[in-house]
Amino acid sequence: MPILEARSLSKRFRRPDKDSGFKGAMKHLVQRRYKNFTAVDAVDLEIEPGESVAYVGPNGAGKSTTVKLLTGILKPTEGTVRVMGRDPHTERIANAHDIGVLFGQRTQLWWDLPVEESLKLLKHMYGVSEADYKARIEKFDELLGLGEFMPALARTLSLGQRMRADLACALLHAPKMVYLDEPTIGLDISVKDRLRAFLRRLVEDGTTLLLTSHDLADIEEVCDRIVVIDEGRIAYDGPIERLKAHYITTKAVNLVLEGPADTAALAEKFPHYEWSPGEAPTEVVVTYESARFTTAEVLGEVTAHLRPRDLSLSEPSIEDVIRRLYAGELSR
Amino acid sequence: MSHPLAVDRALAIISLKRRLAYKTNWVFAIVLGGGAMLSGLALWRNLLGEGTLGGYDWDSMRAYMIIGFFTATLAFGGADWAIADRILDGLIAVDLTKPVDFQRARAAEFVGSMISTVPTAVVGTVAAWLLFSPPPPVSPLAGALTLLSVLLIFPLAFEITYLSVLVCFWTRRYLGVMWAREAVLGFFSGLMIPLALMPVPLQILAWCLPFPHFTTTPSHIYLGRVDTLGALGLIAAEIGWVVLMWFGGRLVFGHAVKKVTVHGG
Repeated sequence: MPILEARSLSKRFRRPDKDSGFKGAMKHLVQRRYKNFTAVDAVDLEIEPGESVAYVGPNGAGKSTTVKLLTGILKPTEGTVRVMGRDPHTERIANAHDIGVLFGQRTQLWWDLPVEESLKLLKHMYGVSEADYKARIEKFDELLGLGEFMPALARTLSLGQRMRADLACALLHAPKMVYLDEPTIGLDISVKDRLRAFLRRLVEDGTTLLLTSHDLADIEEVCDRIVVIDEGRIAYDGPIERLKAHYITTKAVNLVLEGPADTAALAEKFPHYEWSPGEAPTEVVVTYESARFTTAEVLGEVTAHLRPRDLSLSEPSIEDVIRRLYAGELSR
Repeated sequence: MSHPLAVDRALAIISLKRRLAYKTNWVFAIVLGGGAMLSGLALWRNLLGEGTLGGYDWDSMRAYMIIGFFTATLAFGGADWAIADRILDGLIAVDLTKPVDFQRARAAEFVGSMISTVPTAVVGTVAAWLLFSPPPPVSPLAGALTLLSVLLIFPLAFEITYLSVLVCFWTRRYLGVMWAREAVLGFFSGLMIPLALMPVPLQILAWCLPFPHFTTTPSHIYLGRVDTLGALGLIAAEIGWVVLMWFGGRLVFGHAVKKVTVHGG
């Protein structure tokens, strides 16, 4: 039975339709016009217990609105949501006991108090026992280095510290279902790595995770399944590996030659491959269709003729695939 | 199993701590909080002289002003901006993911922040008492009933503030709403001028509203302008407003929460 089930989930907002400038503002006072804007459009989604799902899309695609619908913050315009059998909007308080939510752009820490005070208040809110509280704080300290800034005022924390503290707030009550909305936004590489390792551990421990992020490394490292949303509708829903297999149809070999590379001549000599210049004059990239040629065949043919000084293999990342999917270059 | 009020207590304490985190501001409020009362007393001293206005002589006006200062300090001491800001900047999204009743949680926070104003109210009241020696309550019972009516100001002030803050869901701004509320509250409570000095239609209108319970009700009971039965009637009306506005708050929030639009992540 799915832990989360959304059927034909839609959310429309009404936005004022105003002309610009003072005249437009005055006109809107007496003649009010609005436009309907569909943020989420008939989304169907099922998540099984223990799954880790990436929910990705370009800015304004409807990711955060979907998370707010699934967590009960917003009431759907149409459709239904069930999280552990409950309607998260009408049964908000009961639902909130079993979910953990992190909004990367909004903190849940009390700004002018030490981090520890916020965590203690959440302990009361969720009814966490003293023993569980201590054990979890110890675990967060071990994995997130929470101890070093527990006594610090939230407003004095760096972004990375704030995010780690917010993550601890979201997970203090050991929720079954966790929503993370851009948890690594604005963080440096080392903090990102630390958070990703923590999230991997969370998933291994059986927590169900829905993650939205613009950082596709978060997705590849933490999630098994990816849901791509664009203009409020689901464009792809399936395993990350299948997305790659379906959309990654080419591979490339980067060659470093002894002398300058002449891509036009190479294209004439090997017309069945695509040739493009590399970063340096002596570098060239040969791209081939992975369904037609094996990597061994390509390497054999190319190295026999060109005798490169060095070479490396590359394949388009999930980031490239999604970028092209957003741009409409790939069929859905 | 934790105490049923454990969360309320924790929220109230955290709200109090947030107020006390800005110590200089807090100390200034204690030291300078009575300034408006002093100027009001000076004004009424000159206006009344040895005579009376609306049934108030200098003796009763001293008590009226001190009670007004005490109740107004509490009524305006709650963290209304803290709630309004959370609605306006979208942090309400975070509040709605917590397993607590939104109104009850805000009430606990509000009471916590009101408690931070108790020293201001007490210091100003004691100082004024020592300086101006107002008359005591007309009877010990009147004193006790005055205290009860003052305690009821805590929920009443929260509810009026909460309802006005919820207007932000529609207005998207709070400053104007706050000014309007404070003007209406100051006028119809009798804080600016006693209701007895207003035209009868305005007095009738005022008594149809919850505002007179902030200043007029406790001072009427204290000064014996109403008998015991009248005092109990006023307190019953105050309790009635507390109950009515509590459920009114729930009703308005039920509609307001449908208007939550948290754009931009």
